[in-house]
Amino acid sequence: MSPNGKTPGDKAVLPNNLYTVILALAFCIVLATAGFVAYKCNLQYGTIFKIP
Amino acid sequence: MSALTKILIVLLTLSSIFLCGIVATYVANADNYKQQHRDLKNERDSLGEKVKGLTKQLGEKVAGKQQIEDKLNTKIGTLGSEIRELQASLNNVEREKSLLLQKVNSWTSITKDFYQTTDKQGQLLKNTLEELNTVQAEQIKQHKELNETTASLIEKMAIIDTLESEKKRLVEEKVELQNKLDQLLQPMGRVAVPVVPVTPEISIAKPAKIATKGIDLQGLVSAIDLKNSMAKISIGSADGVKDGMKFHVTRGSKFICDILIIDVDTEEAVGILELVQETPKVGDNVSTNL
Repeated sequence: MSPNGKTPGDKAVLPNNLYTVILALAFCIVLATAGFVAYKCNLQYGTIFKIP
Repeated sequence: MSALTKILIVLLTLSSIFLCGIVATYVANADNYKQQHRDLKNERDSLGEKVKGLTKQLGEKVAGKQQIEDKLNTKIGTLGSEIRELQASLNNVEREKSLLLQKVNSWTSITKDFYQTTDKQGQLLKNTLEELNTVQAEQIKQHKELNETTASLIEKMAIIDTLESEKKRLVEEKVELQNKLDQLLQPMGRVAVPVVPVTPEISIAKPAKIATKGIDLQGLVSAIDLKNSMAKISIGSADGVKDGMKFHVTRGSKFICDILIIDVDTEEAVGILELVQETPKVGDNVSTNL
């Protein structure tokens, strides 16, 4: 059963890209959070990985 | 795709959203420790500067305090010596005060005694004046009696003179009558018998002498009055001296005079000097027997 393959007369199902989008959203959220944390660290301590 | 995978994707997404939200919230609200560190460092530096300034001020204050302390110690020493001098002066003054108080007390007692003595002497003077008045009154009375006695004596003397002249006249008449009687009886060879008076002759009464031989009284001459030839002896009626007694005055083995007692007191007697060989002196022995 191919996701793209539709057989006429079948029930409409959600495409599988929805979960990909959800995963991409989660990834973006995590990435944004990491960027925000990095920005804050750089702003406050002047470095990202070293302990000042 | 299986349902389990889908469920896991959804759960992973939700949990990542949840955790990222928590992380973002925490990071957004977290304190800026670097800023705080900088502030604290600045504050520490400023406090260090302040501490340095204050330490410097403290040093200056300590030096000033030391100078003031030295000055005050010098003053305290000076004042201590002054206090000691004043204490010594105070002690001297206290001693003088006690001496003066003793003097005041002694003078007070002397003054009291003086007042008491003055009062006693005033009382004695009053008594003596009263006695003097009494004696003067008695003297006036005696003077009056003396005048009366003198007048009576003069009168009696006049009577005696009259009687004497009468007696003389009678004696002359008696002699004349005796002569006439002799002239009448002589031719007849008779002699007149001497007349014996009927009234016997009265002899004058004299005081009997007091026998002093067995008494043996001894004393001393206590006063001499050569002007009136009188002397006072140191024994009186308490020792047995009586009026009319005769005492012999001797000095060693030498006889000086006699004293005839005319007035006797309790502890002394006064007499007239008789048979004066030498001038008697106070302290000569007197005795009834030689």
